[in-house]
Amino acid sequence: MKPSFKLDEHPRRPRPLLSEPPAGYFDQLPMRVMARLPQAEAREAATGWGWLARLSPALRTGLASVAVLGGFAASFYLSGPQAAGPAGVAATSLDAVPRTELVGYLLTSGARVDNSDLVVLTAADPNLTDDFLHASEAELTEALDAQPSEDPTYL
Amino acid sequence: MEDHDILLKFQDPASRNLAFNQLVRKYQSKVYWHVRKMVIDHDDADDLTQDVFIKVWKHLENFRQDAALFTWIYRIATNECLNFLSSKRRKFLLPLTDVGAELAAKIEADPALAGDEIELKLQQAILRLPDKQRLVFNLRYYDEMPYEQMAEVTGTSVGALKASYHHAVKKVEEYVTRNTAD
Repeated sequence: MKPSFKLDEHPRRPRPLLSEPPAGYFDQLPMRVMARLPQAEAREAATGWGWLARLSPALRTGLASVAVLGGFAASFYLSGPQAAGPAGVAATSLDAVPRTELVGYLLTSGARVDNSDLVVLTAADPNLTDDFLHASEAELTEALDAQPSEDPTYL
Repeated sequence: MEDHDILLKFQDPASRNLAFNQLVRKYQSKVYWHVRKMVIDHDDADDLTQDVFIKVWKHLENFRQDAALFTWIYRIATNECLNFLSSKRRKFLLPLTDVGAELAAKIEADPALAGDEIELKLQQAILRLPDKQRLVFNLRYYDEMPYEQMAEVTGTSVGALKASYHHAVKKVEEYVTRNTAD
């Protein structure tokens, strides 16, 4: 009868009888491994944003949505009051100037407000010029008729 | 250099490369032979050994030291081997036995085993084991690793490992007995 093989009775080796790696293999292996390591910049980038990569996809999507909405909210908040601010200040400052001084400024400065502008303004809303322009209906009509017909505004 | 010193130096960017070089030098032989026993072919073992150390480099910063450094490296190496063998099967649509036969053919062609029939049959018997059982056999029989450490490496209970090794030894003994001349 064939004797049965017993592993305990077989001489134990630290590893199977396989051929050795090429000579000098373990001298070169560390250099080959080091040459394959990821670049330092990539590692630093990964360290900086690694926490983002470790988040679950659903959490990353949620975080991106919050960031976009936050951006919109911030831009809306910052642009609203600033856009309204200068106009509001200008309106408040103009209210403090007496109307007669304003009219005097407009008539004497280079703003070139002439009779035709005042007539057009009165035709649009007589209340606007009640305080300083006391013209009859006929004078207003005459001034309006005197508007040059080639002016594209009135064509 | 002790593992503790290697890990300390690795935390410092100025000495990180030096520390990692020391780590590779310290563990390269163990990792290589652990991998080689599983994949048999030197070129495959060479590629996998490098891949193992690249993974170690990438994750060493997050190593929590709740296991010994080498146990952790062994676990990475083990997973690399099992993934390699299973992807090889998927790639070529090979059943379990064909990969075993391919590895056995490499063993037969290895000049180191020429003229030693019992050793050749022993290796063939080991290669007929399923991958995970072969891994358990290698860790226990060749590396003489304690079951508790094997449990950390494989993520399996000590009881299951003991049973797996017992069955593996029985299979190996039966195969060698049946396939050797009187």
